[in-house]
Amino acid sequence: MNNTIQRELRIPQPREQVWRAITDRATLAEWMFPNDFEPRVGHRFTFQVPGNPKMNFDGLTVRCEVLECQPPSRLEFSWSAGGPVENTRVSFKLEPDGSGTRVLFEHSGFDLTQPFGEQALKGAEYGWAKMLKELATVVASRNSARETS
Amino acid sequence: MCWIEDLTRKIFLTYTGGIVVTTTREADVFGAISHPARRYMLELLAEDDRSVNTIAGHLDAGDFKMSRPAVSQHLRVLLDAGLVTEQRHGRERRYHLVPERLGPVRDWIKLYERFWDDRLTRLQKLLATKATKATTTKRNKQ
Repeated sequence: MNNTIQRELRIPQPREQVWRAITDRATLAEWMFPNDFEPRVGHRFTFQVPGNPKMNFDGLTVRCEVLECQPPSRLEFSWSAGGPVENTRVSFKLEPDGSGTRVLFEHSGFDLTQPFGEQALKGAEYGWAKMLKELATVVASRNSARETS
Repeated sequence: MCWIEDLTRKIFLTYTGGIVVTTTREADVFGAISHPARRYMLELLAEDDRSVNTIAGHLDAGDFKMSRPAVSQHLRVLLDAGLVTEQRHGRERRYHLVPERLGPVRDWIKLYERFWDDRLTRLQKLLATKATKATTTKRNKQ
């Protein structure tokens, strides 16, 4: 099972501007969530995801730590929100692209063998990841067959 | 904010503080695969359909020693989640894996994909507005 999310996008603004948007606390809050980010390796911070009373959602705190910070090209931080989303990694690579920027985004490290608060597994990997991958391929091929038809 | 609503409905409402409060069939799948012995069972069944005796034998050999009722209980969880079906072959029952039922696990990742698509779109829009503002300010100064 592919447990990495990758996105590539082109932004017409130059790299320095994009870098500011992903590393300036206030700007980061505008497109992400309220946070106490600092562009410094080892800095621990949180994103406060607001709740939604209508949906009975109390909100959520995402715990993060800056793992890499190389202005204006590379930012990586850990992203922990519980269950299979503990110590996942979010990274932004910014490459110049003409007068704009190519953004390579990645969120990796979802541990699908640990759904939702289950304790760490004890020596029971048994190729589970491989199996999930195979199963996912089966499911995906069926889905695409359905979409094609 | 539909990603939050989805997450809320599918995940946060059903799993609170690690205590599984199963409310949907989809949630059952996550609960079902949360136990190492059950994952091992699924793996065995991914190779071939097997009887409860064969499954118990493999569990014994694979460091999951447990009583026969315990094996049946785990199989029951897998059956309830629809991950496994049961067929009678003469006197014995054979268990068969239904891989499609793992779809919700894959869909779960999709929720996060939608979340990031939403955020990255916001980032793009934000930068575009800031750029416009910057240009306007510059023009005003001139």
